[in-house]
Amino acid sequence: MNTTASSFRLSDYGIVRSYDDRVVAGLAAGIGRRLGVETVFIRAAFAVLSFVWGLGIVLYLAGWAATLDSVSDNDVESRDPITDTQRLGLAMAFLSVLLAFRAIGIWPGDAIVFPAMFVIFGLAFLFDRRAIDSRSALLSLVETPEKPARSRTVVGVLLVIVGLGIFGGNAAPQFGSIFIAVAATGAGLTVLFGPWIWSLAQDLGVERTERIRQEERAEVAAHLHDSVLQTLALIQRSEDPKKMVTLARAQERELRRWLFDSSPVPGSDRLSTAIQAVADRIEAEFDIPVEVIGVGDTPFDEVTTPLVAAAGEALMNAAKHSGAGKITVYHEVTEDAIEVFVTDQGKGFDLDTVDGDRHGVSDSIVARMRRHGGSATIVSEPGEGTEVALSIRRNGT
Amino acid sequence: MIRISMVDDHRLFLSGVKAELEGSVDVVSASNDIDEAIDAIREHRPDVVLVDVHMPGGGGLAVIENVSETNPDIKFLALSVSDAAEDVIAMIRAGARGYVTKSIAPEELVEAIERVHAGDAVFSPRLAGFVLDAFADVVPAEVDPEMDLLTPREREVLRQIARGYSYKQVARRLSISVKTVETHVSNVLRKLQLSNRHELARWASNRRIV
Repeated sequence: MNTTASSFRLSDYGIVRSYDDRVVAGLAAGIGRRLGVETVFIRAAFAVLSFVWGLGIVLYLAGWAATLDSVSDNDVESRDPITDTQRLGLAMAFLSVLLAFRAIGIWPGDAIVFPAMFVIFGLAFLFDRRAIDSRSALLSLVETPEKPARSRTVVGVLLVIVGLGIFGGNAAPQFGSIFIAVAATGAGLTVLFGPWIWSLAQDLGVERTERIRQEERAEVAAHLHDSVLQTLALIQRSEDPKKMVTLARAQERELRRWLFDSSPVPGSDRLSTAIQAVADRIEAEFDIPVEVIGVGDTPFDEVTTPLVAAAGEALMNAAKHSGAGKITVYHEVTEDAIEVFVTDQGKGFDLDTVDGDRHGVSDSIVARMRRHGGSATIVSEPGEGTEVALSIRRNGT
Repeated sequence: MIRISMVDDHRLFLSGVKAELEGSVDVVSASNDIDEAIDAIREHRPDVVLVDVHMPGGGGLAVIENVSETNPDIKFLALSVSDAAEDVIAMIRAGARGYVTKSIAPEELVEAIERVHAGDAVFSPRLAGFVLDAFADVVPAEVDPEMDLLTPREREVLRQIARGYSYKQVARRLSISVKTVETHVSNVLRKLQLSNRHELARWASNRRIV
């Protein structure tokens, strides 16, 4: 930025906008820190000046422009709070500024500015953080509170009532004292309960976000504890390298799914998830890696249920008997058929001379598929592995 | 002996694989940082680079793209824990001639390196599945069918690979020579790299880890 034209910087006078304590741009907080006055009173001054034909807004924007490049967070130390005498002096100075504007004619009218001043500063007294911090202005008034908070509250309420009274008297003389009484009561209740309710609501908001965060953390911790930590413990205790690999694989897959997959909606199960579930079960039960490859997908419904069941049988058969290091499941959904291949590179068997158990399972797979209008082909040769091909027609499409 | 470079940000994994490969191939450099790796590869000019997919600073893609600019003859084999479709497809399209997961057995890895060195493609069952899936949907009329469709034979070869068969087994099952299988797979790889189907990218990014 060029420094010649816009060389006036408020930061040279120790005024730095505050990022943390800000409503608009943090200018009021910056000035408050420089002067040693609570921010809320600076805000009130700007607000009152705004009633003088928007002067406060103009001044604020000008101040903002002069502090564009100087923003800080809370670590800027604020000046020591000024004494009550100094405070009074500042108030007088502010009042004389107002009167000066009144004298030179930049003035919308006594009936607007003065009531506004009373009300705004009254609210400022009540909203001052130090008053709210002691839980509530109301409580501090009723239960023997510390003195400053109590006097502050009284001053605040009085100022507000006087302000509203003048305003009410000026604006609507025809309503007279009734209006003033009603307005004063309403205003009094508002200023008394307002800050309390406001601070309560804020506390609730903070509490809620904190609770949500804690719940999330607890959920993640619980899940990691149930899954990853348990598996790691198991792996440390395990002597068998094969078992370790199986554990690590199963855990890896589970963790991936938890991290990246949105949890499936009940009733919207897919063929791929059903087959993966069967594969997971076999992998866990028999300590053998099962790789599942899928092309296309289809709902897991009454058509595909027998297919998945048959694939499960074929998988179990391969896991029990093949002696292979790994089983591959390939499923493909084409336009007119759904196919599943369960392949292992194990020892295979001779379909004609095989022993009872294996043959029985093979028979049951073939029979099951046939019963549901599909087909199963088992190809195997001793030493060449086994492939079970399952196929079912897609009806209606 | 085939000269290879390795790039992986996991030191443990790097040294583990290096130890497994010693004796079968000549590991001329092993780097765990992308910039260092690019310099080392340009200096040593290996035959094949084993490159990890996920690394800080641009990942395996950055290595492939940078090296290919200056040394187009160096071949890449991607090696990763991730078998997410977008990773696999992105690496292949950047120019990797194969993609294997880190769970691969050492002897299979050596075989894959030899295959890549010979100019062939290395398709794991999962990669074959991805390609079939990506090319499965109906092709819109305006794209080049030459480049954007798999021939029935290529499709059949990929289906066999996806079912877990080695190239040799595929050849025997389809009664063709191993060389023919390799030609088919290389053609598929070329189509995968050159195809300008928008769906390919979209398909990959829509698809989550299987």
